Amino acid sequence: MTRKSEKQGKKGFFSDVRLPVAKRYVYPSARAKMFIIGGVGAVVIAALFVVNITAQQGTLISNGPLSSNHAPFGDDCATCHTPFGDVSDGQCAVCHEKYGDEVGVHTFTSHYLYRTGDFSRDVPAPNEPACSGCHTEHVGREALITQVTDTQCLACHDYDSFNKHHPEFDFAAEAIPDAANLKFSHSHHVLEVKDREDVGDVEQTCLYCHNPDPDGKNFQAIDFDRHCDACHLTTSAATPWLAVGDASAETPGVLTLETIQAQQTPGTRWSYFINPGEFQQRGETVRKRPLYHEDPWLLENLKTLRRVLYPATSLADLLKASADVEPRDAKKLYEEALATLRDYNEALRAEPDQQVQDELENIEMLLKYVDQRLRDPYSPLDETRFAVSAASLDTSITAEQAEAYHQFIDELTEPCQECHYVENATILRAQADQEVFTRAEFDHRAHIIQRRCLDCHDAIPIRELTALDAAPDSTRDHAGIQNIPTIASCQTCHSDAEAANTCITCHLFHPDKSQRGNLLLYLE
Amino acid sequence: MSNRWIQSPRWFLGFWIAVGVCLLLYLANALFGQVRPGNTLGIAYGIMATVLFVAVFAFALRRRLMKFRPGRTWYYLQVHVYGGALFMLLVFMHTGFKMPQGILTWWLWMLSIWVVGSGLLGVVLQKWIPMLLNSGLSIEVHYDRIPELIADIRHRAESLATTCDYATREFYRKTLAPILATPKTRLIYYLDITGGIQARTEQFDYLRALLPEDEQEKLDDLQAMYKTKLEIDAHYTLQKALRWWLYLHVPVSLVLIVLLALHIFAVVYY
Repeated sequence: MTRKSEKQGKKGFFSDVRLPVAKRYVYPSARAKMFIIGGVGAVVIAALFVVNITAQQGTLISNGPLSSNHAPFGDDCATCHTPFGDVSDGQCAVCHEKYGDEVGVHTFTSHYLYRTGDFSRDVPAPNEPACSGCHTEHVGREALITQVTDTQCLACHDYDSFNKHHPEFDFAAEAIPDAANLKFSHSHHVLEVKDREDVGDVEQTCLYCHNPDPDGKNFQAIDFDRHCDACHLTTSAATPWLAVGDASAETPGVLTLETIQAQQTPGTRWSYFINPGEFQQRGETVRKRPLYHEDPWLLENLKTLRRVLYPATSLADLLKASADVEPRDAKKLYEEALATLRDYNEALRAEPDQQVQDELENIEMLLKYVDQRLRDPYSPLDETRFAVSAASLDTSITAEQAEAYHQFIDELTEPCQECHYVENATILRAQADQEVFTRAEFDHRAHIIQRRCLDCHDAIPIRELTALDAAPDSTRDHAGIQNIPTIASCQTCHSDAEAANTCITCHLFHPDKSQRGNLLLYLE
Repeated sequence: MSNRWIQSPRWFLGFWIAVGVCLLLYLANALFGQVRPGNTLGIAYGIMATVLFVAVFAFALRRRLMKFRPGRTWYYLQVHVYGGALFMLLVFMHTGFKMPQGILTWWLWMLSIWVVGSGLLGVVLQKWIPMLLNSGLSIEVHYDRIPELIADIRHRAESLATTCDYATREFYRKTLAPILATPKTRLIYYLDITGGIQARTEQFDYLRALLPEDEQEKLDDLQAMYKTKLEIDAHYTLQKALRWWLYLHVPVSLVLIVLLALHIFAVVYY
């Protein structure tokens, strides 16, 4: 068979068994079934979601379960969500800003102030996120939405991480001494407590004065009556024999109890309740024994002497000690002054004169107004208004007179000066709360499990000094030394490899934890 | 560089560059920011994924809905394949490579994986099966003609068998007829395209030795028909996979479109 005939023979057929080729174009079978299945599935699912959105609060379209705290709102998206809008901070504030003042507790202003009371810090950042920007919801029932990641903080704070470029603590970076304003030796007191209480362990003696709060995180403020009174100002404590005088005399002297009673100056009601037997007179001198902490007779005489030297003492008369506080603590001075004024006011309640009583009502209203002003966070408070300045010394007093007055004041306050300093005729205020870390939180309990007190608090070599059993070394151990570890000490354990080193390990974004106990606010 | 598996090296390279850029972006995002579906970058990933999904879907629309079809189908197909894979990567970036916890988002995530996975399976099948069919079969048949061709073979075999002697007729009735009845799927063709056709035709050799010469010619014809049927079965088995993977891909894609629309609505509304 030729090639041509062979080709003709195969025309219209293929394969060895001569299967017929298609006589027309073969269209692929219809795939409508495929689209019907998909279409029906899509319609059913769409219907399911439409029903869910319209009749069942749209729980199916939620991006995930709410955290357990917000779980009760899971069935009502509108509690937090606004249609075609974000979750607004206002929605969060409905529940979370029940307490606090105009500044708010969870606001950025509160964050900028960060317990400083310094409103110059309130400069809004350009990238302030909404609440939901940091507290991510819909990521599971067990999610801890308060555990904000460092990334959120580092958006504004350019610190890299705790172990890289975190600034040194302020007191160390700026070499700020401890503002204790006390003559105090830790090692001396440790040895005293060891002997007195028969304690073998040095660190255990710390806890005799540094009493932890119930949660073990921080310590209660040192209090004279609880921590010092047992040894200091015992019944034998007395002033020296002091010359009796009055404010008009050229030479300084103290006012006797009788004089004070006769003068009836504001704030001297105590003079009617004090035991006259505590005063001993010898010629033109007097001494008081025993002497108390914040002894009213001594403080009244100190105030009188101060007025001679510094007639423009102004508000300082309303304080028991100097106005030497951090600006953020100015409120304490105002509160103390206000309490003194209230005492004065209260003392006048017994006056029968109706005019006095009417005035007292007016004064009470004024005090209430001042009290309200004190609660206003935006009301600036100036602590220097209470300060007695050396520059305000009465110009009519000669240098010799001033010297004589200062010497007399030293005599009067001699028992006080065992621990306190006296400047400008005022006793320097002791900082009882020892607040150093105002912007960081610290949990002593969590740390004492693994470290002992003096492992970290080693700026004063207490172990070494107490081991010597010698006289206190005032150069290495005095109250001005901040016996607080620097950041390097913290970084030895807190690092990527060991203990937590995230921002929120130590810092709170919302620092104001006060007023949380005021449950009544939640019921309003 | 183009080969059977990569039609266009340029598209292939472009795809991997896009993957690299996306991963670098994500890495920078994870190192210096936060990976969250709801923040700026997270939403940007989601929008990019949606845009790609629409572009990928244009392939299906072009074939079925567009009267005026701009561009060549080939380009649409490239966008469909590479865009689909990139879409999946962007979905993962959008969710932070974590499984979402919401019901809708979980289904979106799973169906996206399903649709892209089935699509990639389709790509592999469409590359691999034609190579397989060309490698060892002597015929090519159109899938939709297979029932017709098998019926033709069966009728001719039956006709031939009636003219054969008893032994051949019985052999046909017992052994060949059931096999020639309908197209048969045999998974062995995926592993061996000949499917052991040679071994299966050896039974003809045993019978042939017992038959006279004229019967042997008829048996040879039956053997040729039988062999052709087995080859058609191979086509049937393998081409069926090419048809049926679409059932894994297309219906679910339609559901995915609806879920995606619902997700966008939910995000915009809330």
